[in-house]
Amino acid sequence: MPGSAARVETDIDMFGADFVRNPFPAIARMREQSAAVYSTKWDFYVLTRYDDVRAVAADWQTFTSSQGVALTPEINSAIEGTILSTDPPGHTVLRGILAEQLAPRGLGKIRADMSAYAQQVVAEQVARREFDAVVDISRVFPINVVGDLVGLPAEGREHLQPGADATFAGFGPFGDYLIAHVEEMGKYHAWLDTMGDRSKLLPGGWGEAIMDAVDAGKISQLSATRLITAFLTAGMDTTVNAISALIRLFAERPDVWRALKNDRSLAGPIFEEILRYHSPVVGFWRVATQDTLIGDVMIPAGAKVQLNWAAANHDPAKYANPGEFLLERNPIDHVAFGYGPHACAGQGLARMEAVTLLEALADQIDTIELTGKPVQSLNPIVRGLESVPVRVTAA
Amino acid sequence: MQVDVNLAACEGHGLCAQVSPGIYEVDDEGYVRMRVYEITPDLEPAAAAGARVCPVAALTVVK
Repeated sequence: MPGSAARVETDIDMFGADFVRNPFPAIARMREQSAAVYSTKWDFYVLTRYDDVRAVAADWQTFTSSQGVALTPEINSAIEGTILSTDPPGHTVLRGILAEQLAPRGLGKIRADMSAYAQQVVAEQVARREFDAVVDISRVFPINVVGDLVGLPAEGREHLQPGADATFAGFGPFGDYLIAHVEEMGKYHAWLDTMGDRSKLLPGGWGEAIMDAVDAGKISQLSATRLITAFLTAGMDTTVNAISALIRLFAERPDVWRALKNDRSLAGPIFEEILRYHSPVVGFWRVATQDTLIGDVMIPAGAKVQLNWAAANHDPAKYANPGEFLLERNPIDHVAFGYGPHACAGQGLARMEAVTLLEALADQIDTIELTGKPVQSLNPIVRGLESVPVRVTAA
Repeated sequence: MQVDVNLAACEGHGLCAQVSPGIYEVDDEGYVRMRVYEITPDLEPAAAAGARVCPVAALTVVK
């Protein structure tokens, strides 16, 4: 093809444990080699440069979500027609259902309750002195915040985090991690399938607002159940892992912790930088609707491209010393929430959860240290932590 | 230079106003509002910077 360079290919397994443990050196090599490296193993082009990832995320006409945003046909057929895998204008309708609740303008009225709950969760752990930040805070706070907002019954919430985690893994290939967690995914979806029912959902919650949209004829019953699933799944593992990464950071970087203790207004910038630095969600896929040049690589119509958010957030052309957590960076244009029409609809909520929790931590804790080595998760799609054991002293 | 504001896409995240408070603000209803009637050349860099950080691409710079 005229104007396009020879295709750079890779056969590395971007979903295997070795890569997942520390993907950034291999990603840096790919980013240097080509704007779009072709994976021979999985048949897609991986985009690693910030400008390309952002531009493609915005250009839904050329890079559609409607032909699948996951790697496998099985998952793509399961999510066909959902908010994740539709383009405007259908996508705009689905996104509009909870827009008023999820937009920051709708969140103001829940801040006080959220803050009180953050203080309670932190107080319970400060009383224990030693705890696992992942198990006892990260997997408790966002799950109950989102569970309460949606109006889910308390019973069954234990399925949420493991189920969402496995569901995210399902966006990649059928590898070791997914196979080991597929049972959790099954239980989670079986439970969620019973939630598209008013009698299960508490009045006044977001679940009820979704059911109202069914009654108003805006969406089908199936769409409603899928929308509840999409919001719950998206609201779990992402925030859970960002919070785990933050608490680990505070234990490892007393300078950052002290800075927050001295100035609560740093909670927002610290959250933005951990999102860039840790990048909980690795990436999703799009399909090219026509032959398109990315850099000097011709992406043929019908080809899959991976928008690698983590790679974009570590592009040194955009963020100098990307492997360093810098307190002063405040990188609010990171793509950890994606970008464009499919940018995370819950990002305002995630910011509020993080800030209220950081305020509670800073209010109640003086010092925080690790009592053991943090354990990384090997989920290939959501970069996570299984354990961050800490000891704290009360403020 | 002009900034095309897509109010239907605006969710009120307020990052534009955080980056360029002289150009953008979030109104009482939670939507973006321009604080200037005209983007004069001296305001162009700030207007462009604020538009850039919109997470849902609701602000587009039109040359």
